[in-house]
Amino acid sequence: MNTTSLQHLTNVATRQGRVIRRRDFLRNIAAASLAAGSWSWTDAIAASADQMRSQGMACILLWMQGGPSQFETFSPKPNHDNGGETKAIGTSVSGIQIAENLPYCARVMDDLAIVRSMTSKEGNHQRATYLLHHGYLPMGGVNFPSLGSNVAHQIGNAANQLPNFVRIGGRLANSGGGGFLGVDYDPLVLRSANRPPDNTKPLSDSGRYHRRLRLLDSLENTFAVSGGSEIVADHRKLVESASDMIMSPGMDAFDLEKEPASLRESYGQGEFAAGCMMARRLVEQGVTFVEVVSNGWDTHLDGFNRTRELTGQIDQPMAALIGDLKQRGMLDKTLVVWLGEFGRTPKINPRAGRDHFPRAFNAVLAGGGVRGGQVIGATNDAGTKVTERPVLITDFFRSIYHTLNIDPDEENISRVGRPIKLVDGGEVITELFG
Amino acid sequence: MLRVDLFMLLLLLWAPLAKAESPGRLAKRIDQAIQNDVFDEETELAPRTDDYTFVRRAWLDVVGDIPSPEEVTSFVLDPAEDKRETLVARLLADPHFGQNWARYWRDVVFFRAVDERAEIAAGTMETDLTEWLNEGRPWSEIATEFITAHGDVRENGGTAIMMAQDGMTEETTAEVSRIFLGIQIQCAQCHDHPYDRWKREQFHELAAFFPRIAVRPVRDLTSRSFEVIGTDRFGRKPPKNERFPTAEHKMPDLEDPQAPGTQMEPKFFLTSAKVPWGTSDSARRLQLAQWLTENEWFATALVNRMWAELVGEGFYPSVDDIGPDRTTVAPTAVKLLSRKFKESGYDLKWLMKTICQTEAYQRESRPRRETDGTPFVANVPQRLRSDQLYNALLSAFNAPEENPPRGRRPQRPQAAPRGRFAEAFAYDPSINREEAVSSIPQVLALMNSMDVNLLFRGKKGSVLPELIREIKQDEELTTELFLRCLGRVPTSEELEIVKALRQEGMKREVAFEDLAWSLVNSAEFQHRR
Repeated sequence: MNTTSLQHLTNVATRQGRVIRRRDFLRNIAAASLAAGSWSWTDAIAASADQMRSQGMACILLWMQGGPSQFETFSPKPNHDNGGETKAIGTSVSGIQIAENLPYCARVMDDLAIVRSMTSKEGNHQRATYLLHHGYLPMGGVNFPSLGSNVAHQIGNAANQLPNFVRIGGRLANSGGGGFLGVDYDPLVLRSANRPPDNTKPLSDSGRYHRRLRLLDSLENTFAVSGGSEIVADHRKLVESASDMIMSPGMDAFDLEKEPASLRESYGQGEFAAGCMMARRLVEQGVTFVEVVSNGWDTHLDGFNRTRELTGQIDQPMAALIGDLKQRGMLDKTLVVWLGEFGRTPKINPRAGRDHFPRAFNAVLAGGGVRGGQVIGATNDAGTKVTERPVLITDFFRSIYHTLNIDPDEENISRVGRPIKLVDGGEVITELFG
Repeated sequence: MLRVDLFMLLLLLWAPLAKAESPGRLAKRIDQAIQNDVFDEETELAPRTDDYTFVRRAWLDVVGDIPSPEEVTSFVLDPAEDKRETLVARLLADPHFGQNWARYWRDVVFFRAVDERAEIAAGTMETDLTEWLNEGRPWSEIATEFITAHGDVRENGGTAIMMAQDGMTEETTAEVSRIFLGIQIQCAQCHDHPYDRWKREQFHELAAFFPRIAVRPVRDLTSRSFEVIGTDRFGRKPPKNERFPTAEHKMPDLEDPQAPGTQMEPKFFLTSAKVPWGTSDSARRLQLAQWLTENEWFATALVNRMWAELVGEGFYPSVDDIGPDRTTVAPTAVKLLSRKFKESGYDLKWLMKTICQTEAYQRESRPRRETDGTPFVANVPQRLRSDQLYNALLSAFNAPEENPPRGRRPQRPQAAPRGRFAEAFAYDPSINREEAVSSIPQVLALMNSMDVNLLFRGKKGSVLPELIREIKQDEELTTELFLRCLGRVPTSEELEIVKALRQEGMKREVAFEDLAWSLVNSAEFQHRR
C-alpha cells in the first residue's frame, strides 16, 4: 500500500464533508480484511474506502408482505388455544422465547429487540402497506415519500453513484417512492437478487455512448418547452443517474458471485437469502436504504404449514445478515428492521389460517445502536390485546428515524408548499436504547 | 296484447339509437358544463393543439400506436374542417382499437392478481375483449360477461377477474365493485368504512352474490389450466384447508373467527335490491350484473376513467375510488356525460368520439396541475403504457413483431419480446398517473437492451439502414426520422444540432443511428403529448 492511494482515499472522504477519525479508519480496514478472507489487501482497502464514504447510518428493511403471524414468528403463545400448534423455543437470551419456526434467529437474539405491542387500526393490505411504508395513511393531494426515500433524502450520500434506495423483490403496490421529493429518491427496484440489474452494459464504445447522451440531452428541449418541463427534468435526472450507476465500480455490489462460497452458504438458499446478502453488499458500497421483500404472508388458509415454509425462507438469511454485519463492524451503523403491514388474528379460522389483525402484532429491530436481547411490550395470554407499552406506527417510525440520527420533526415542503414532518406525532421508544 | 309487446320491442330497439346524442353536439355541452363548473373569467386555457400533436395523440389514445410519416403528413395537409373527428372515427373502426383497450383492461385486472399463476388467463381475456370491443358491444354486456362467466380460463376471457382473485368470494366482490363501479367497498370488509357510508354488512351482502364460485385446476393429457366453476350442489362437507364454494356467504365474527359467522342475504348495496337465499349461482350473478349495470355509478366509473385517460385528469381524483362520498371537480359535466353514456346504450366508441371532440381533449398539454391549480385548462402528457411504447418502437422502424402472443394458447408472457418489455415498462393503469413514474431500469432498457438496439443496426427487419441509404439529403433524412419517432418535423434548432453532429466527422450511418437512438430515448418519444 502506498501513500498516494491513502491520500486519494482521504480526499474522497473529506470531499463528502465528513470527518474521519484515524481510529475508525483502521478499524474498518481491519474488519474488512478479516471478513474478506480470500481478498487481497488492496481489495480490502478499496472496500473499506467505500465504507468510509458512508460513515453515516444505513437501514435494511426486511418486509414481510401480506402480514406475518406474530404467533408463528416472534410472539408464540404455546400455553393458549390461540397459539395453535406452534411451539416456543429458547433463545440465546435466557427468559426470551420465540416461535420454533425461527431457530437461527433464536441464536442471534442478543442482537434483536422484539416489539410485541405494535398496534394499528388498518386491516386492509393496501392501506396498511402504505401506512407501514410511509408513517402516514394515504391522503388525497399529498404524495408522501416513503420511509426509504426520506432516509435517502436525509442522510443519503449524494455523491454515491449507486442509488441511495434499493428495493429487492419486485414491485410492491403501495410501498411508495420518492413522492414529492422527486425521482432522485425513488427506489431502484430489482425483481430478484439473483438477477442483477439488466442492460447495464452500453452497446456502443464509450466515446460514442457519451456522444449519444449529449445528443439526447440536446433533443429534449423541444418537449421541455411545450408542456413536458417536469417530465423532461425528471428524465434527464434518470438518464444521468442510470449512466453514473452503470459506470460505477460499485456495480460489483449486485454480483453475488463475488461473495466467497462459504459466506453464501451461511445465508442459505432462496430469493430472500440472496436479497439479504445483496443488501449487505449494497450498504457496504454506501447505499443508505435497502428493502428486501418476502411475499406470501397472507395466510388465511393452511396458516401453520404455509407460515412454516415462509419462516424457513427468512430465518437463516436474517440471522446470517445480522451476524455478517456484526462481523464486519457494520452492525452499529446499520439498522435492520423486520416488519409486515399487520399481524394475524389470535383465533384460528376454520380453514386453519389466521385473518388480518392490526390490533396487536410484532416487529423486530437490530443494529444501529439498538440494544438487543430484549422484548418490548406485551399482549394478554390470548394475544388479543396489547397490555403493556403499546407502540403506535408513529412511535415506531419516530424510533427508526431517531436511530438513524434523523430528526423525525424535520419538515419537507410538499409541492404545494405545505410543510410535512417526517413523522407526525408519536414518541421514540426509549427502551430501545437503554 | 301482441301489439303492446311489439310496440315495447320496437321501443327497446329504438331507444338507444334515438337517444344517443351526436358526439359533436354533446362535446360542446360538456365543454360548456366544465366552463360553468370550473373556470372563471381569469382562467387561462391552453390553446388548441396543432395537427401534428393531435394526430399522434389520437393514434396513441385510440389504437395504441404511433402514426406513420405518411399518415402524419396527409393529416396535416388535409384541408377538411372535420378531419379530426374523421380521423377518430376511422381509428375507432380499426381492429387495433379493441386490442389497445383490451390490453389496458387486462392490465387493470391482472395488476391486482393475487397469484402469478393467474397470468394464464391474460391472453384469453385480451383476445375475447378485443373482439367484444371491436364489435361495439355495450359496456354493460361486457361487464355482465365478466360477472357471470364460468368455464376454462383459456376458453372464456370473461373469467379473468375471478381467476385473478383465485375465485375467492370476498376478493372477487371487491374487484367487481372497484372495476365496474369505481367504489372501494372492500375497506368495509373488516370494519365500517372510515370515510364512507358503507357498513360492514353491506360489503358482505355484496359478497353474498359470489359464494358459489371457485377456481379449480383442470388437467388433460397435454396441458394444464384452471376453470371457474359456479355450483349449486353442496353434497359433501368442505374439506379442511381448501377453498370450497358454499351455498351462502357468511360474514365472519370478528371476535370469534372460528364461529360460522352470520349468513348474509345477497343484497346490492347501492339500491338494497336483494335476491332470496337459495338462489342458484347463475341467477344471482346475472341479477347482480343487471342491477350493477343499471346503476348510475356504473356509467360514472367508466366515464371518469376514460376521461382521465384521454384528458389526463379525471373528474374525480382517482379512477377507482369514486362514489357518493367523494367530491368531483366538475359535477355538472360528469353527470351529463354519464347520463348520455347510459342513454347511448353504453356505447364505448360513441363515448370516445364525444370526448375526443371536446376542447378539453384537444388542448395543448401542460404539466400536471398542482393540487390548487384549475383542472382541465390543458391536456396532460401521459407516459405510454408498455404496449403502446412497444408498438411505437416497432412502428418507428417498420419492424414486425417477433413471436407475438398467440391469444388463446398463450406461452408464458415473458417468453415473447413484448412480455419482456412489459416486465420493465408495464404499470397498473388504475394508480394515480403521477405515481407511475419512469425508472432507472426503464431508462437502461431503452438505452442498452439488445431488443431495442438491434433496431438501430437494421436487424429485426428495421428499415433504418435502408432509409439512410435511400434518403441522400441530410435534412430530409432528419425530418423523416423525426416524423417516424415523434410524429412531427424537426425545429430549426434541432436541424442545426444534427448538422453540427454531422460535422464531427463520423460516418453518415453512424451519425443517423445515433440520432435514431437519441430520439427513441427522449422523454418525448415515451409520452403522448
